Amino acid sequence: MFHRHPIHCIIPPHMLREIAERGSVVQQAQALQSYAASSQLRGQRTELTGMPSVAQTQAAAGKERIIYDAKETTTLPGVKVRSEGDPPVDDIAVNEAYDGSGATYDLYHEVFGRNSIDNQGMRLDSTVHYGESFDNAFWDGQQMVYGDGDADVPEEERIFNRFTAAIDVIGHELTHGVTQHEARLLYYTQPGALNESMSDVFGSLVKQRTLNQTSAEADWIIGAGLFTANVNAQGIRSMKAPGTAYDDPVLGKDPQPGHMRDYMNVSYDNGGVHINSGIPNHAFYVVAREIGGYAWEKPGQIWYRALKDELQFWSDFQHAANVTYQLAGSLYGKGSLEQQAVVTGWKEVGITVETGFGWRQLISIIIALLNQLGGGNVIPAAPQTAREER
Amino acid sequence: MKIAFERSGGFAGLRLTATIETDDLPPDEAAELVQMVEDARFFDLPGKLRARPGAADEYQYLVTIATDDQRHTVETTDTAAPETLRTLLNRLNALARRRR
Repeated sequence: MFHRHPIHCIIPPHMLREIAERGSVVQQAQALQSYAASSQLRGQRTELTGMPSVAQTQAAAGKERIIYDAKETTTLPGVKVRSEGDPPVDDIAVNEAYDGSGATYDLYHEVFGRNSIDNQGMRLDSTVHYGESFDNAFWDGQQMVYGDGDADVPEEERIFNRFTAAIDVIGHELTHGVTQHEARLLYYTQPGALNESMSDVFGSLVKQRTLNQTSAEADWIIGAGLFTANVNAQGIRSMKAPGTAYDDPVLGKDPQPGHMRDYMNVSYDNGGVHINSGIPNHAFYVVAREIGGYAWEKPGQIWYRALKDELQFWSDFQHAANVTYQLAGSLYGKGSLEQQAVVTGWKEVGITVETGFGWRQLISIIIALLNQLGGGNVIPAAPQTAREER
Repeated sequence: MKIAFERSGGFAGLRLTATIETDDLPPDEAAELVQMVEDARFFDLPGKLRARPGAADEYQYLVTIATDDQRHTVETTDTAAPETLRTLLNRLNALARRRR
């Protein structure tokens, strides 16, 4: 059997020449390799997938959802209360988690041709009623988890409703799973804010598609309905106008920037991942506004391809700008309206798309190269965790 | 005992901070808090407790506790924290919220 050398398959000749002309490539490769190794030691990287779990092998057929009830404990996943195909139950949170994860699966499957979180039919597990008065929703690396909001305080003091109440929150959490299996963006500073933004973008697309809204009709609010009526808020974040989602005497003002000049360098929140996501969020909004029509179509396609094929664990906003520009060109034509929309989108948040060969492109080639040489094990690229048996 | 508490991140990215002096609390509440710190074996915990890889939107907690003879800082998330530490975090969170 004759095999072409994998390196030659993935790197165009002109880029190989570029690499060869730069003396620091080996050093850079070593630096990246040791970076990956230290990430592994710090637990950023994961144990290799062992035997496929029952869930993974069984679910290869397609959409399979299971909703669990933690019954106000923090034990995951909890008691199984609704499985794929079961009729609705007498618990709104369960049904919202079921319907929301279904709508998210459908967006990925019908619009982007993706079969679940790992593109291999991974079962979608969700747990509701997590913790006592838990005012959060998260992705734990394997499943979605939703709290009931702060039900422990008197009604007039409550800030949060249950977290399944907003369908974009469900799309947001599930997208963290997609990112974990694709770009694997580090959850820290700019890559982390990009990770958060991807979740907001696809969460919002789930909502817009469910409501059949064009980009002009959509409100571009993330988490509308999560805050109770006690809070002066439209929602948690605004992609259209970052920093304006809430302004409340108790909670303060939405801190999100919508432009690089207002980027917040902070120590908390993993370097402000939920704050600075406003910048790429707004860029996506502008691209959708400029292109018009349904945002999950062309703008969604450009962003999905970036997440799946181009972005890497280290990617910053500039890299996202560059790759979405390239993708818009290859998908819709060089100099097309779509490609111009991408330029405008990033420009409005203070980022000028780089069209030449720069260090970001070099690094992404080196990482792709290392992955080829290491069978995907050198730098995180493959699915992270085998689901624990349940 | 002096406690510096910070909770950040979470889906909404809201930040909550508080400095709690047990001397300022009612005696029974202070005693309960000191017991929780002891039950969590706070001073023996590693400085950083990590969530599962790929996890996102968890609250990030940064807690520093100082007594007359020791001082320790722990960074954790909800799923990374042992049950006893979680009990302490919930209490600190409630105290911090009361002051918001």
